[in-house]
Order: sequence, then structure tokens, then C-alpha cells
Amino acid sequence: MATNRWLATGNFFTSYKEEQRIFLTNIDRLCLWLLIAALYAWPFFVETSNKGMLVLDNILIAMVAILGLNLVTGFAGLISIGHAAFVGVGAYTTALIASGLGTDHVFLTHAWPVVIVLSGMVGAIFGGIVGLPALRLKHLYLAIATLSFQMIFQWVINFSKLFNQGQTMSVGRVFWLTGKVGRKDHYLFWYFAVLTIVVISGFLVRNLLRTRYGRCLVAVRDNDRAADAMGMHPGFTKVYAFALAGFFAGIAGSLHCYLYRGAGIESFTLHQSISYLAMAIVGGLGTLSGSFFGPAAIRLLDLGVENLSSWSSTFLPSTMNIATALRPLTFGLVIVLFLMFEPRGIANWWRIIKSYFKLWPFKY
Amino acid sequence: MTYFIQLLISGLVVGSIYALSALGFVLIYKSSRVLNIAHGQIIASGAFIAYALTVYAGVPLVISFFLSMAITFFLSMAVERVFLRRLIGEPIISVIMVTIGLMSIIDGVIYLTPFGSTNMSFPKFFPPEPLNLLGATVSWTQVVGVILTAIIIAALSWFFKNSTLGISMRAVSDDQLASMSIGISVPKVFGLAWALAGLTAAAAGGIIGNITGLNFDTLHAFGIIVFPVVILGGLDSIGGAVVAGIIMGLIQQFAAGYLDGNWGLQGTAEVLPYIILLILLLFKPHGLFGTHEIERV
Repeated sequence: MATNRWLATGNFFTSYKEEQRIFLTNIDRLCLWLLIAALYAWPFFVETSNKGMLVLDNILIAMVAILGLNLVTGFAGLISIGHAAFVGVGAYTTALIASGLGTDHVFLTHAWPVVIVLSGMVGAIFGGIVGLPALRLKHLYLAIATLSFQMIFQWVINFSKLFNQGQTMSVGRVFWLTGKVGRKDHYLFWYFAVLTIVVISGFLVRNLLRTRYGRCLVAVRDNDRAADAMGMHPGFTKVYAFALAGFFAGIAGSLHCYLYRGAGIESFTLHQSISYLAMAIVGGLGTLSGSFFGPAAIRLLDLGVENLSSWSSTFLPSTMNIATALRPLTFGLVIVLFLMFEPRGIANWWRIIKSYFKLWPFKY
Repeated sequence: MTYFIQLLISGLVVGSIYALSALGFVLIYKSSRVLNIAHGQIIASGAFIAYALTVYAGVPLVISFFLSMAITFFLSMAVERVFLRRLIGEPIISVIMVTIGLMSIIDGVIYLTPFGSTNMSFPKFFPPEPLNLLGATVSWTQVVGVILTAIIIAALSWFFKNSTLGISMRAVSDDQLASMSIGISVPKVFGLAWALAGLTAAAAGGIIGNITGLNFDTLHAFGIIVFPVVILGGLDSIGGAVVAGIIMGLIQQFAAGYLDGNWGLQGTAEVLPYIILLILLLFKPHGLFGTHEIERV
């Protein structure tokens, strides 16, 4: 059947191959490429402050981390309360390379993509180790394993000289084709770098979910006994899910380390883990687009909270530390409200909007 | 030798408080299979309510201790009613994530009050001169704390063994469908489990507050240390929680007493329980007294 590849109303699939397509229509494909092109192009036309750029960089880095968290919590159905610790593993790998070789060693400044991937690998190893109990037990005990990894990570960083006892460990500036990336271009450069990594890892995850290795995550989440009967190993699948999450977290951590030119414990605490979880939930667990909506929404909310608390500190007594109070309060509320009223997250709103236009002029 | 006895006694004291805190956690897990991540925050709120009643409202310490238990009883019942009741039937993963959200919310609320950032201590109630036991010193607060813990645990085990409500709670934890068919209201039992967890948590909070003083971070840590304790005891065993609590208290005190300062180690008491937890999950995931689940297709 000759199908119109530009417009489609409703879903008519005659083969599994059609259903597996990334883009339903060519318009979808065009829209995505235009969006990516626009994301790359706009900094050349719009003047932005370093502060605004830093916010964008943070959102993009969180997107990389959430891609990993969504794989383990959304697709494989295992709660991870230690995601910030995995991000920290990546950051401290980079920081250790810096302190071992010197902060401005060639390896660190010129071969930074290698360092980033290497940090991801180390994150994956730690993810796999924490996931190991999955071989023995089922259900959600693993949440406790990730929580204890978070506590152990914080202790190791805080009490060992190797990691500067949680104080900042610095990393030098990187080089690009045009030479050393200076203070002025630092945030802009990392915007492009992180954007590239987000695009690549988005495609990686999308394609992973089309293969048997991605689908077995979902199968084990939905019914591990049935998955077992179909020849998948539920235990190994869970370990592998944790390793994948650790990989993306490690990459995000390394990027964080490069962006802030150092790593300190305060970015990898339990509170941070919970805000990562909030991002995944708000975006929509088990959806790819949710991994992009969630970080953006939560970081913007975070910014709003910061503004609100600095505004309210003008008339509230200084003994009340409103910022430390409002942040957990809003994150907690957002988690609970989304789980109660919109468990499928912002990605679901996006799906409704899309299907409205697709089915127009018929009613949803 | 005195040093050893001193560590042993303080380990027993800390361990019995761990047992009491773990008890509430196990109660909730046993009846509804929910890992309550917010347990530490409930402990903290119990302690702060007791303090507020004693110092701000001028209620005598003993009465405010029991009053705080009653208030937290109803508070956590309300939490169950508002947040968790409507999630019955949803996948358990989202219920657990709701408790993570709750943890964050209660954190925020406590940071809004003066308790979030300052250290406070209860007014002195017991005679200040410590007891002498085999050369080691024990304060009166510690002795009373241990006795209170023992009484509460004994009362709870009587409740589960003899009262109709307790027996119906045990029935629900065994098989929800079967207990529904003989006329037990499962949502009510869930509510009661949360309420009892709140009660024991407030008792634990009050005792901790009297022994170590009120500091949000310390109370918070008591909530997280519950996890190694319950895994060691077996997640669904109340007796296991008590035994494991005491073992964990002893391990922590001996680690702090003998390991810290040697071989460049510091703060081992904070991390050792979690290392034990990870190893236990690998080799003995059902703990000391937990039930092994047998799956049949």
C-alpha cells in the first residue's frame, strides 16, 4: 500500500517494522531536525548573559543524567535514590584524573571527549556493582541498595584526603580547534558540547529501546516471570539497567565537572538525588521525551523558587532560611502531586497535544 | 575493660532506639509492602512536637512525651489518608516514590520552623549525676529510654498477639484478599499501620531528643539508619527489627570506639551499616528472620 509519508491520520501499521519506526511521518522528522538546527543556531543571533547560559547548560546536563535515570526507573521499573551519587562518580573520576595528571594536562584539556566517555564507563561499573543484588532478590529492595550507595559515596568523599574531603577539586580549561576556551566563551562552548551529547545520547536511547536489549528492560519491568519464561535473565537485565544508568550519570557528572571547572560534594547529595527523581517523575517515567521535559521544568521551577526566596528575604527575618526550606518543599510537592494526578508526567500532555493536531479536525 | 563495657552499654542504648525506630518501618512494610522512605522525618517531627509542647506550651515533659505520641499517631494517619489511600491499587513503585516526595515535603516544613537549623535540648528532667554500672557510666535518661523502649515493644507484641485489631493486621500482612473476604477492612488496617508507625516513631524521637538533644540532621540520620537495621532483621519481621536494631547499635559503637583514629579511618560508624547492608543484600537478602518468598507460576 502506498502510504503518504508526509501526512498520517491515525495509526495504520501493516508490519512490525512500520511500528518500530522512530518517525511516524516525514513531518515529524523535519520538525525534529529543524528543532535541533534551531537549538544550535540561536546563540549566534541572540546575545545571552553568562548566567542565562549557565542555566541552559545545567538543564542540558540534567537531561543526560535523567536519560539514565529514566532507563532504570522508568523503563526497568527500579527506584534509584542514589542517582546523584552516580553523577558524582563521573565527576570525581574526571577530578581524580585532573589531580593525578595535573589540572592542565594535555589528556584532560585536549582529549576531553575521551575523559567524558571514560567517566561514563567508571559510572557504569559502579552502577553495575550497586545493581548486583538484583541477581538475588526481586521487588524494590534495590531502592535501599541505591540509598546505601549514596551514603557510602558521601562518606568516602567527605573523609578521604584523595578527594580533598569534599572540598572543590579543580579542573583546567579545555582546548578546542580555535585554541583555549576562554572565560568569556566557556559557557557558550559547553552549551554546544553538551547539546551535541544530549542529541547523541537521545538517539542512542531511542534506538536502544527498539532493540531487544531495550525491550527486555520493559519486559522485566512489566512481568519478570514472563520475561524469564521468554528467555531473558531478569537479574542480569536489572544489573545492566543500573550499569546503563550509571553510564549516563557518569557522563553527566564529567560534564558538570568540566562546566564548573571542579567537583565538590554539595552537588551530589541525597537532596540532589531526590531532585533528579523529581525531574524523571515530572517529565514522565518510561517516556523518552519526558527525559527532556522534566529537567527543563524542574530547573526552571528551581530558578523560580530561588527568586521567590531572595525576594521574600527582603521582608522576612534573616533567621529564617527560606531557600533551604522552599526547595525540598516544592520538589516534594511536585513529586507527590504529579504521582497523584498526572503519573504519566508532562510527556503525556505533549502526547495529547500531538494527537490533537494529528487527528484534527476530528475530536480526540 | 571499662572502655569495652562503656561501649557495650552505649551500643545497647542506641540499639534499642534503633529497634524502636525500625519497628514502625516494619509495621508499614508488613501490612502494605511500602518502603516508607519518610520514616526519619516522622521521627523528627515527633521529637519536635514533644519539644514544642514542653518548652513553648509548658506541658510537663512526661505528659508532652505521650501527647506527642498521640499527635503523631493522628498525623501519620492523616498522611496515609490524604496521600496514600488514593494510591491503593497503583503500582507499588509509585507509592514508594510518593513517600520520597513526603520526605522532601516534611524536610521543607521542618526547615521553615526554627527547628531546622538550630540545636535544642530538652529541659533536664532526671537527676544529672550518672549511674555507675561495672565501672561504666550511664545517664538516667539513657536508662529510662531503654526501659521505655522495652515497654513499648512489649505492649506492641501483646497487641499483635492478643487483640482483634492486631490479629487482623497480621492477617492483612499475610494475605490481603483472604482477609478482605472475612470482613477485615484493608484500607483501615493500612491507616492503623501508619498510625502505629507514627506512634513508635514519636516515641523514638522523644527518647533520642532527650538523650542526644534535638538536631535535625541527627534525627534525620536515625531515619536512614533504619534501612540497614530492617534489612539485617528481615524486612517483614518485627522481632528481627528489635534484634537487628540492637546488633546495629553495638556494631556502630564498637566501630566508633575501636576503628576511628586507627588506619586513618574516621566516622566509620556512619558508613559501616551501609556497607553491611550492601553485603547482606548480596549474600543474605532476607536478613536474619525475614521470610523467604517462594514463587510458583
